[in-house]
Amino acid sequence: MTDKTHFGFQTVEEHEKARKVGEVFHSVARKYDLMNDVMSAGLHRTWKRFAVEISGVKAGDRVLDVAGGSGDLSRLFSRKVGSEGSVVLTDINASMLGVGRDRLMDEGVPVPALQCDAEKLPFPDQHFDCVIVAFGLRNMTHKDRALAEMQRVLKVGGRLLVLEFSQVWKPLAPLYDVYSFKLLPLMGKLLAQDAASYQYLAESIRMHPDQETLKQMMLDAGFGKVDYYNLSAGVVALHKGWKTA
Amino acid sequence: MIKPLLTRLLGHLVKQNSWARPHLQPYAGKHIRLQLFPLSATLVVLEDGGLGMAGDTAAHDASMRISPSLALRLLANDASAHSDIVLEGDTEFAIALGKVLQAMSWDYEEDLSRVVGDVAATQISQRLQEGVAATRKQAANLTEMAAEFWQEEQPLIAKKRHVEAFNRDVDTLRDDLGRLDKRMEKLSARLDALLKLHA
Repeated sequence: MTDKTHFGFQTVEEHEKARKVGEVFHSVARKYDLMNDVMSAGLHRTWKRFAVEISGVKAGDRVLDVAGGSGDLSRLFSRKVGSEGSVVLTDINASMLGVGRDRLMDEGVPVPALQCDAEKLPFPDQHFDCVIVAFGLRNMTHKDRALAEMQRVLKVGGRLLVLEFSQVWKPLAPLYDVYSFKLLPLMGKLLAQDAASYQYLAESIRMHPDQETLKQMMLDAGFGKVDYYNLSAGVVALHKGWKTA
Repeated sequence: MIKPLLTRLLGHLVKQNSWARPHLQPYAGKHIRLQLFPLSATLVVLEDGGLGMAGDTAAHDASMRISPSLALRLLANDASAHSDIVLEGDTEFAIALGKVLQAMSWDYEEDLSRVVGDVAATQISQRLQEGVAATRKQAANLTEMAAEFWQEEQPLIAKKRHVEAFNRDVDTLRDDLGRLDKRMEKLSARLDALLKLHA
């Protein structure tokens, strides 16, 4: 008997989740950025820029972009670390990684792109100054294992940044529900001809741990200190965890 | 979205004052609460020596409290006002940050030049500086006029020399009282001795 996990609002076998998530992202990869812009009214760019500013990354640092997909954050971090530093873009999904890698190459940003599972990162201990995972953690089957891996590859004093959809401010919840379950799949159907994938995105956001739960998960994974920012009334939260020992 | 905006502004300010980074870097990860009634904000020193807004759950390591009247004195460049800022917690960190914030300046001309061009930015900046200087002069004149009115026409404020004379009188009175007290003590002691003798 295998363990069960969530895939949106469905309960599936653990080994099935990665494949199903893979199918979703394979399906949306080509129009991922367009949909992000439409869905967030461009706000995802502000959230990502804020995450980079709060990271405290400086010239010469090593940065790991987990589930980096389309490469937005890798591009921003590349400017920060300069030629002495390095950024590694990773994603479990080959389609998403391909889109990000090609785009970065077209823009003349040399970032190594690596297809790997965030629960088994192929890097030595204490290797990076900063690890970031933006809108990727909720798709991982074992979030606790992924967080522990990210903690392992960080140097002491390094930071993990988790940018993820979170629990919206209560009075806005009904409006947000209408947006997520009515408008979002409709936009997915019209713009990407893929309502089911966007239905999954909406459902997976609801199943993701809230701000306090994620903070506790990061503390449990070994981070000495964790703080978070609610952005856009909690639609998104940015968690920052410090590896202190 | 106020935090991303303020963090952007702080980042821009630190970028313009790049000398500040090495001074702030030793305090990376520390939080300070700034209170200027009725406003308050918690800042964090970032690992690259920059400044950002703190998260929603951050506990502050130090706090800096400035009353509205003190803020006015600070704006008027009153050197003695700095010692009246209330610092709590990690005071070494608070003092270091206070010094950096005090020495930072906003190069608005540089920012303006990106929008309207160098020549226009310089002209606007000059006009602005002239305007500020004229306003300061006018404010000083008004203050002097009001002080004169309340000292001469409608005495409400004491003149400096009157206050000094009053202080001198108080000092003399205090010394006289001290001497009188000693004489009373001596007389009282003599009286007690006489009473014991005749008892």
